[in-house]
Amino acid sequence: MSNFVIETKGVTKTYEGVVPVQAVDHVDLQIEDNEFTAIVGPSGSGKTTLLNMIGGLDRPTSGSVKVNGTELARMSENHLIDFRLRHIGFVFQSYNLIPVLTAKENTEFIMLMQNIDKKTRDERVEKLLKEVGLGDKMNSRPTQLSGGQQQRVAVARALASKPDFVLADEPTANLDSHSTTNLLDIMARLNQEEGITFVFSTHDQRVIDRAQRVITLVDGKIASDIRK
Amino acid sequence: MITKIAWRNIWRNRVRSLVVIVALALGLWAGTFTTGFYQGMINQRIDDVIASEMSHFQVHDTNFRDEMQIQYFIENALDIQNEISQKEHIVASSGRVVANSMMGSANKNGAIKFNGVDAEEENAVTGLSEKLVEGAYFEGVKRNPILVSAKMAEEYKLKLRSKVVVTIQDLNGDITSASFRVVGIYKSGNGMLDATNAYARRSDIQKLIGMQPSDLHEIAFLLDNHDLAEPMANEFQDQYTELEVLPWMDLATGMRYMVEAGNTFAIVIVAIILIALLFSVINTMLMAVMERTREIGMLMAVGLNRNKIFIMIMLETLFLSLIGGPLGLLVAFSFIEYYGANGFDLGAMGETYGELGFAAVVYTELDPSAYLTITIMVLVMALLASIYPAIKALRLNPSEAIRKI
Repeated sequence: MSNFVIETKGVTKTYEGVVPVQAVDHVDLQIEDNEFTAIVGPSGSGKTTLLNMIGGLDRPTSGSVKVNGTELARMSENHLIDFRLRHIGFVFQSYNLIPVLTAKENTEFIMLMQNIDKKTRDERVEKLLKEVGLGDKMNSRPTQLSGGQQQRVAVARALASKPDFVLADEPTANLDSHSTTNLLDIMARLNQEEGITFVFSTHDQRVIDRAQRVITLVDGKIASDIRK
Repeated sequence: MITKIAWRNIWRNRVRSLVVIVALALGLWAGTFTTGFYQGMINQRIDDVIASEMSHFQVHDTNFRDEMQIQYFIENALDIQNEISQKEHIVASSGRVVANSMMGSANKNGAIKFNGVDAEEENAVTGLSEKLVEGAYFEGVKRNPILVSAKMAEEYKLKLRSKVVVTIQDLNGDITSASFRVVGIYKSGNGMLDATNAYARRSDIQKLIGMQPSDLHEIAFLLDNHDLAEPMANEFQDQYTELEVLPWMDLATGMRYMVEAGNTFAIVIVAIILIALLFSVINTMLMAVMERTREIGMLMAVGLNRNKIFIMIMLETLFLSLIGGPLGLLVAFSFIEYYGANGFDLGAMGETYGELGFAAVVYTELDPSAYLTITIMVLVMALLASIYPAIKALRLNPSEAIRKI
């Protein structure tokens, strides 16, 4: 068994249409535990498509996607949903949180779906929200939080399920400079101190600068893979 | 948590949710109140038919009702009347001689239904004396007193002590006539009944047509319970096979149909309203789902399975329906109780309804079972309304939904 958290082999995604579009083209990729990786590239290069396949949100047309040795491509829809719930944390560009729930409830939500007991939930939610610097905003609803604060709640929520890794699709795209730095600091600290694996898709140079490994996609293929 | 999210979701757009809730409440109020109004009207008509016209059941010769000829009488009818009157639940009975006749005054000649009654018996069954608006109940003259309706009095220009001549065919087939003097004028509130019915003493008509005092055309029986009318009529029909024994709903034209149709009518009215509301709720919930495409996609992405998404959308629809539904039923209940106690005056339309035999003031009422039926219909509507938006939400692909702008 490999030591890779994420491993893709010849993964390809073609969108059928009048003119078929090959968004991802035979990508071989291995990401190890504790990595802080940025997948970069111009618009339409296939970053989000690759991330969606790694996250089990989309199925490859061909090739294989494994998370900790488990093949996602052949998993049933229901198994895939359950797998995402237990093994992958997500941070999206926007619409991350459930607007009618407080920061505490949003963070607790995933654990509730995992049937974790209340005591454990309460302890973990408090710890996570404190870690992302929102210990005093536990009872605030998303509309009462800034964009940066909302993304930090999303990070706390992503970590609540103790995932194998966190996928973040352009998490800083809608944030100002201060919020971006703050969010990156938190994620870098979680990576270094708690060994959380992060994989980003991003255009943001500030994220690229902080990443340990930068994979560049061009026309759905890996153009470069640089470890700092 | 899913329940909490669903509950809070319906209050995200308060105005839209309140519009749906109010629409549901108004629709159900209207449907339920109309049902209560109709049921009250029918029940009053039934009470009136029983109290003023048909009693609970009647006994006739088998040909009498079809032919309306005086030769189709019941022989020794008083014995039968006495025998049936001994039975349990019989409150009163009235033996009648009934003849289609011509009545003439100085101003008009016209056809009437001439009822020969025993004053005391008839009063016990139909409360005829209480309906007098002028004069006395078969009192004031010794020979041939007659009671006419206020409507007849107006048409024939009759007053108390006016003389009328009644022309009738006797049992030998000969035409005979006699003069009667008006001693009382009644008003039953039922225009159709008042248009044709005049009352005289039974013995006077029997003498006029040559009928034995023990023979009658019609025996009407009043019971202590409406529901026993049909079973008891059937029981006596089995006992007196040579006679016709019919309950009120088969005696009064259209009454059985009206009662049966009344129940269906109520269901149909509420169903039509609920179907209209169904589409309104579906529309609202579809809007809510479409607006939240990305959010639902995000929930699926982070691991909320399709069953839970389905349940969440269904719960939102159910909550909307279960606030609006009971609210409408509660308001309808208040209205039905209020107008049940105080009556709903039909105003100018009351006279027209009166002509058709219906009361001008309707006392609304609704069986508890009808509330239960409507509640079940609301629940079914809510479930139906929730299915399509929930299915629509399930069809979302999380990766596409998240990207959607």
